[in-house]
Amino acid sequence: MQKTILFARNYGILVVTVLLLVLLTVTTEGFLTERNLRNILDQQSGVLIAASFMTMAIITGNFDISVGAVYVTAPLVALFVENATGNIPLAVLAGLAAGVAMGVINGLAVTKLKVHSFIATLSTSFMFFGVGYLVSDRAVMRPITEGWRALARTRIFELTSATWIAIGVTIVAAILLTRTRFGRNVYASGANREAARLAGVNVDRVQMITFVLLASAAALAGVLGASRAISAQPSDDFSFIFAVLTAVIVGGTSIAGGSGAIWRTVTAVFFLAFLTNGFNLHQIDPIWQRLIQGFVILVAVSIDAWSQRRGG
Amino acid sequence: MVQTHDILLTLSGVGKSFGGTVALTDIDLTVETGKVHAFVGENGAGKSTLGKLIVGVHSLSEGRMEVDGTEVSFTSPAQALDHGLAGISQELSLMPQRTVLDNIALGREVMRGPFINARATRRGVEAVMERYAMHVDPDARVGDLPIVEQQKVEILRALSRDARLIVFDEPTARLPSDQVAPLLALVRSLADAGKAVIYVSHFLEEILEATDTVTILRNGRHIRTGPTANETHDSLVEGVTGSVLGEQYPEVAAPDRAAPPVISVTGLSRPGVFENVSFDIHPGEIVGLAGLVGSGRSEIARAILGADPSRGKITFNGREISGSIAARLAGGMAMIPENRREQGLMMGRPIVENVTLPHLSRFSGALGLDRRRERAAADAHCAATEMKYASLNDHADALSGGNQQKILFARTTLGDPALLIADEPTRGVDVGAKRSIYDLIAGLAKQGKAILLISSEIEEILGLSHRVLVVSRGRIAGELEGAALTETALMTAAFSGT
Ligand SMILES: Nc1ncnc2c1ncn2[C@@H]1O[C@H](COP(=O)(O)OP(=O)(O)OP(=O)(O)O)[C@@H](O)[C@H]1O
Ligand SMILES: [Mg+2]
Repeated sequence: MQKTILFARNYGILVVTVLLLVLLTVTTEGFLTERNLRNILDQQSGVLIAASFMTMAIITGNFDISVGAVYVTAPLVALFVENATGNIPLAVLAGLAAGVAMGVINGLAVTKLKVHSFIATLSTSFMFFGVGYLVSDRAVMRPITEGWRALARTRIFELTSATWIAIGVTIVAAILLTRTRFGRNVYASGANREAARLAGVNVDRVQMITFVLLASAAALAGVLGASRAISAQPSDDFSFIFAVLTAVIVGGTSIAGGSGAIWRTVTAVFFLAFLTNGFNLHQIDPIWQRLIQGFVILVAVSIDAWSQRRGG
Repeated sequence: MVQTHDILLTLSGVGKSFGGTVALTDIDLTVETGKVHAFVGENGAGKSTLGKLIVGVHSLSEGRMEVDGTEVSFTSPAQALDHGLAGISQELSLMPQRTVLDNIALGREVMRGPFINARATRRGVEAVMERYAMHVDPDARVGDLPIVEQQKVEILRALSRDARLIVFDEPTARLPSDQVAPLLALVRSLADAGKAVIYVSHFLEEILEATDTVTILRNGRHIRTGPTANETHDSLVEGVTGSVLGEQYPEVAAPDRAAPPVISVTGLSRPGVFENVSFDIHPGEIVGLAGLVGSGRSEIARAILGADPSRGKITFNGREISGSIAARLAGGMAMIPENRREQGLMMGRPIVENVTLPHLSRFSGALGLDRRRERAAADAHCAATEMKYASLNDHADALSGGNQQKILFARTTLGDPALLIADEPTRGVDVGAKRSIYDLIAGLAKQGKAILLISSEIEEILGLSHRVLVVSRGRIAGELEGAALTETALMTAAFSGT
C-alpha cells in the first residue's frame, strides 16, 4: 500500500499522461499522427521554455506572475529594435536583454525590498505591461525583415526551430537543476531557507538568478511567439502565465518550495496539451472543455496534496 | 489521596511499518491511570512511533488497541482525542500568532447561536487552569512565551478537551536545565489528578526520579516493562543499549596552548544582545560556553559564523575575518545549530543532500556534480556517526529525532573543520549515541581542532570542556578551568548578572 502511494506520488503524472495518450490513440483517428504530434510540440514550445524555469523559481519558494508581462513586452522591444535597425540578431538580443532587466527588477524586489514574490511580481507585471505599450506606441508591431519569421519557423529534421529551441532549453534547465551545485542550492533555498543560509548558501543570489533565468526564458518564448505570429501586440494578457503555472502545478511541483522536477513539468505540459487536442479532435463544446479542464486540474492538485500529507 | 490504577489502554501484538521500514513489532502493553509510564530506548527504537500510534497520528499496521476494554482504531488525532488520548509533541503544534486563550479554546469555543461567546469561553479556559493549578496569562501571545509556558498551553489544551492520557515526547529536550524540575512536578500532578501519562525521554535521571513504570524498547521490540523502583541507571542503560556502558565521557587530551589560537575573538558586540565578548580557542581545546537559555550563548555563536551582524574582531587561523557565511565555512568553520528542524535540516530532502549541502564545491567539476563520489562520501560519514537509516535517499523526516541530529554531525565531519561550534549537539540523542558524539568531539579535539561547545546540560559541559566561559546577560561573567570548574561555580556565575 505504502509502495503504491509512493509510486503514485512520484510517477502519477506520467501514468495519467500515458493513459490519456493511449485513450486518444484508440478513440481518435487523427491523434497519433506525425503531423498532429509535431504540431503539438510546436504549439507548446513557448510554454515549455518558460515552464522549465518557472519550475526552478517555484522550487526556491517563489512565484513569478510577471512572466506573462515579460512574454508580451520582450518581443515588442525586439521588434522595436528590428524595425529601427533591420538587424535580427541584435533585435533578439535586445528582447533577451529586456528579459534579463525585468528579471533583475523582480529579483531586487524580492531579495532587497523583501516583498513576497507573488505581490512583487504582480506589481512588476503592470509596470512591464506598461513598458510594452510605450515601446509599441499602443499599436500592433510587425517585422520589416523577411528573416524574422524564420526564427521560429525554420524546419530542421521535420521539427520547427521553436521546437528545437524548446527541447534545448528544457534539457539545459533539467541539467542545471539536477546535476549542478546551483541546482542543489535551488532546492535548499526552498526546502529550508534559514538552514540553507547557515550552510553557506547565498540564498539571495540563488533567488536572483532564478528570476533572471526565468524572465530571460519568458522573453525568448515571447520572441519565438512573435516570430510565429509575424507580429506582436501590447496587451494586459495574463493567459501565458496561467498556462505556465498550471503546467508546473499539475506536474506536482510543490508551491511550498523545496521539491519538484522539470520532467514533471514537461510531462504536465503534454498532459494538458493532449487534453486540449483531444477535446478538439472529439469536437467537444468549448464550454465543456473549460469545465473538464478545470476539474482535471483540481483533481491533479488534490491528489498531490493528499499524497504529500500521506508521505509526511 | 487514594489512587486507583485502572487499565486505560491495552495494546496487543501491535506493529507498525513505514514502507519497508519496520518501526515496531509485536508490542504488548498496558497503560494505567494515575501513573507516569516511561518509554525509553535508543534513537530509532520506536518510542515516538508508539506514542503516535496511541494518539492517532499514525494508524496500526498490525495488532489491536483497546481503550477501557473496547477495541479502537484511529485514523486521525481527532478520533484519539475523542477517546481522551492526547499528545504533547516535541515540535509544539500551537499557533504562535494567537493568544493563549485562542490556542486553548480552539474548536471548543462556547457558542451562542452562530457567534462565539467570548466571556463564557474565557471562563471555561480559566476553570481548567484553576482545576489543575496551571496558570498562564490568557491574553499573552503564544509566540512570545518561553517554551515551558508553551508546553503548559499545550497541556491545558489537552486537558480542556478532557484528555485522560497524555503522551509527552521528549518534553525536556528543549528546556533549559532550571526549568526541568517544574515540568516534572507538573507531570506528577497530572498523574495525581488521575491522568495516565506517557513520558518519553533520553534523560535517565528524569525517568528514575519522576516515573512509576518504565517500558524499554529496542529495535522496535518490547524488552520489558516494570516498576521504575526496580531499575537503576545502569540497569536502564543496559536495557536500552543491550550492553553495559562504561564511562559517560571520554578522556580529552590536553590542548596545545603554546600554539597560536585557532580563533581569537576580541570585543565582539551586538547591541542589546551581547557585549564585549573576548576569548581564544587553541588547537585541540574544547571551550564550553555555558549560561542560561537567553543569555546570548547561541547569538555569540551565530555572530562568529557570520549569521548575524556584529562588531568587533574575529581572527581565525591567523587572519582577521569579516566575510560571508560561505567564506567562513570554506575557511574551516562549522556549526551545528541549536535547532535542527529550523536551522539545520531540509526535512523534505534526502539524507545525502542534507549531509553534503555546505560541501558541494568538492564534488563539482566541469561536468557538474559527481553524484557517485558525493554519495560515497556521505555514506562513509553517516556510517561513522552510527546513524540508522534505510537509504541515503530517504528524506530527513523519515529518521528518528536522534538520527536527524547525526546527519548534522556527518555534515560536520565531512567538512573537516578547524573550528566546530556545536550548539546543543546531543539534543534528543540517546545515551549510547551521546557517547559516540562525545567521542567524535573529543576525537576532533585530539586532531587539533578547536571546539566551542554550547550546552544546557551542565554535566556535558563539565564532562567535556577544558575551559568554560559562563555567559550571563550577554557578557562573559566568568571563566572557569581546572579545579575551579565545578557545577556550583558555574551556576553562581550564570546567575550573577541576573
Ligand atoms: N514517517 C516515517 N517514515 C518512515 N520511517 C519512519 C517514519 N517515522 C519513523 N520511522 C522509522 O521508524 C523507526 C522508529 O522511529 P521513532 O521516531 O519511533 O524512534 P524514537 O525511538 O522516537 O527515536 P528518537 O529517540 O531518536 O526520537 C526509525 O527507524 C525511523 O526511521
Ligand atoms: Mg522520538
